[in-house]
Amino acid sequence: MREAIVTGGGISGLCCAVKLAEAGVRVKLIAPYPSERSQSVMAAGGINGVLSKPEQGDSVNCHIEDTLKGGNYLAGKEAVTGLCQQAEEIIKYLEKIGTVFTVDSEGSLVKRAFGGQSYKRTYFCGASTGKQIVSALVMEVRRFEVKGMIERHFWTFFHSALIRGEKCYGALVYNERTDKVEAIYADFLVMATGGQNSLFGKTTGSALCDGYAAGQLFLQGVELKNLEFIQYHPTTLETCQKRMLISEAVRGEGGRLFYVENGKRIYFMEEIYGPKGNLMTRDVVSREIDKIVKSGKEVFLDISFMGEKEIRHRIPEVSDLCMKYRGIDISRESIPVAPSVHFFMGGLAVHLNHETNIRNLFAVGECASIYHGANRLGGNSLLAAMYSGMVAAKEIESRDFEQETVDFSDTEAKANLGLKKMKDTKSQFPVMYIRDMLADTMGQNLGIVRNEEAMKKGLSDLDYYLSICDRLSFDSSVSMYTNYSLKAILTLAKATLLCALYRNESRGAHFRSDFPDIDDAFAFATIIANDEGQFKIRMDKEHSYEN
Amino acid sequence: MKIKILRQTLPNTEPYWEGFDVDVNKDMTIAGVLDHINYNDDIIDDTGKKTSRIRWECSCLQGMCGSCAMVINGIPALACETMIRDLKGKEITIRPLQKFPVIYDLVVDRSIIYENLKKINMFIGEYIPVENKKPKKREKELEHQYEVAKCLKCGLCLEVCPNYVNGNNFFGALFANDCYLVSSRNQSKLTEIIQGYEEHFGKTCSKAFSCMDVCPMHIPTLASMAKMNRYY
Ligand SMILES: Cc1cc2nc3c(=O)[nH]c(=O)nc-3n(C[C@H](O)[C@H](O)[C@H](O)COP(=O)(O)OP(=O)(O)OC[C@H]3O[C@@H](n4cnc5c(N)ncnc54)[C@H](O)[C@@H]3O)c2cc1C
Repeated sequence: MREAIVTGGGISGLCCAVKLAEAGVRVKLIAPYPSERSQSVMAAGGINGVLSKPEQGDSVNCHIEDTLKGGNYLAGKEAVTGLCQQAEEIIKYLEKIGTVFTVDSEGSLVKRAFGGQSYKRTYFCGASTGKQIVSALVMEVRRFEVKGMIERHFWTFFHSALIRGEKCYGALVYNERTDKVEAIYADFLVMATGGQNSLFGKTTGSALCDGYAAGQLFLQGVELKNLEFIQYHPTTLETCQKRMLISEAVRGEGGRLFYVENGKRIYFMEEIYGPKGNLMTRDVVSREIDKIVKSGKEVFLDISFMGEKEIRHRIPEVSDLCMKYRGIDISRESIPVAPSVHFFMGGLAVHLNHETNIRNLFAVGECASIYHGANRLGGNSLLAAMYSGMVAAKEIESRDFEQETVDFSDTEAKANLGLKKMKDTKSQFPVMYIRDMLADTMGQNLGIVRNEEAMKKGLSDLDYYLSICDRLSFDSSVSMYTNYSLKAILTLAKATLLCALYRNESRGAHFRSDFPDIDDAFAFATIIANDEGQFKIRMDKEHSYEN
Repeated sequence: MKIKILRQTLPNTEPYWEGFDVDVNKDMTIAGVLDHINYNDDIIDDTGKKTSRIRWECSCLQGMCGSCAMVINGIPALACETMIRDLKGKEITIRPLQKFPVIYDLVVDRSIIYENLKKINMFIGEYIPVENKKPKKREKELEHQYEVAKCLKCGLCLEVCPNYVNGNNFFGALFANDCYLVSSRNQSKLTEIIQGYEEHFGKTCSKAFSCMDVCPMHIPTLASMAKMNRYY
């Protein structure tokens, strides 16, 4: 029987595991914590799709066009077409397995407006779309666990892939219970490890998404793509522990952005972009807010006109969050907002079938880069998480069985020795100190508006951290994983800065003050490869991944 | 403010209390306090001694994932949702959940929750909902399913429950709620689920309902129980 490892228990990993098990592939699902802890549960707004009763004028083609346009035509048309065409089936499937979508009195699913879309096509489950989907998928996974087709491994972290001759044979995982690295052999390895939040410290998302896996695979020869495209969510609220997302649903429901000048409210998005200005794509809104914030003014989001009753009914989670963490009553007051890092369009480069440049190594969900181009539309990433999981599973199902065993016991022993040696290291910087410095330098030098000078400063910081990282003292007060993951995370950060420096133009979420215009010479995806320690960047002019 | 934390170095070592003097403000959460203590190059306890970072589990930091469940001033709660302004007294005590094995400090192993759900085939499989002709009733049913599916599996309901010991036989409120969710969405599993419900919940629950007081998602477990009892 064929076997696959799926690393990551968010929506994409769960979906892929279920579809593989359905197809008779035995799965080991590796993630340190249960799926209830994954970032996927945080998605509140909804999932996009054009279903059988769309808003008048809407069509699947229109969804495709909006997605391509939102991403500044960097994503491949074929990939996006597949994604949007499959949306209806995906939403129906989710409903069938027990996702509790919000329905109207006739029992039909309700849709709402989201940024960058010509029509309302975002379907949702009250205030917790991601959570409801995770709950349903976890039960489906359990169905196959009981049958012995899926085995869940908690307290295990990805360490590295078992690769030889451009082909993958499984993974090394670190088991926190035994404090050891173990080799798990499999015919296929699917990465579903989410975005690279920790490059920026605290983002709107989960602390468990750190980018380690992408950085490590890059070190092992896997190509990365479009790393410079990082989505800032325009509306987040400062709290004592992080910046929290104020859902785009607020603007979807009519919320208006403004600042105050001479005692008067200036609805700047409407002034610049017309009546639909508040719902422009996230990159545009973030940049406009950033400009105002940098000029020393505060920006607010107003939804109070909706009235308490409607607010409780339509966006209760936003009202609860503002009250709980800031004591703000949004039916009376406006919400002070500013942009914050939210989503990564870039990640592991994958082909249409979600395979990377290494045979039998796949990537799905947010850690893979394919559908969102230079900017992602809200509601498209849950769709992509589901779709990519299905595509990878289908591809694996169709593959011929290549019975071939390669022994990696030396690699395993070496990895264990590496960890042991790490414990013996001594120097003045603890790991957490460097992690914090990394977040500072990335936040300062790779923000919403970028320029060469700042990015070069960021690079020199990173080169320094990388130069000392092998000599860092073992920080016994954080986990072994936090210790060993540092180098790959720093490497990913460096690759990201290099890609951003390479793209001498402004497009989508990547805005350069020194190259403020779009330039056709860069109308391609950025690919970065690690050629025995040399970082090599190219524009994917042949569309080798996309089409 | 004085923060006292019950710490433990390894799963098999003895727990010990350690105090910290922390500058807090009323708008901070306990997660914020733990971050504040840890965000230093040197971590110093209240005797001036250098000590190690406090280990605790976190993911979303906003009450949506259940990672940071712990016991704060004697009450099981999520650290990221517990505000200093709502706590009484001059000192705050924090300890790990007691009903699960401690891995280190405030991190516990809650795998048993999943093992138990597996034992009684807790999955929907096929969607065959209990028929409800009246739209109002159907709507109410869906609303309740939505509430129940929000369960974080954080274990707070088990920590506070006088009947839950170690999960060997009594599986607690989160289990009862899932029983409702599965049986309402797939009638054909009713008999099987009711059996499990009775065995691992119904016959032992002494109806203290403290589970509902501590549930971060405010899941109306009582309503799930009433519905399960009606199915009998
Ligand atoms: C606040 C917020 C709101 C959002 N709202 C929406 C929305 O309304 N609509 C929408 O479409 N999208 C939304 N998104 C984006 C969307 O939630 C994510 O893109 C999507 O959930 C990603 O799913 P995933 O399966 O790729 O990864 P995740 O859900 O992030 O899961 C990653 C998994 O990998 C595991 N993992 C990570 N590193 C390792 C390792 N080294 N070893 C082993 N396991 C590892 C993690 O533990 C986790 O289980 C939102 C995001 C945020 C932060």
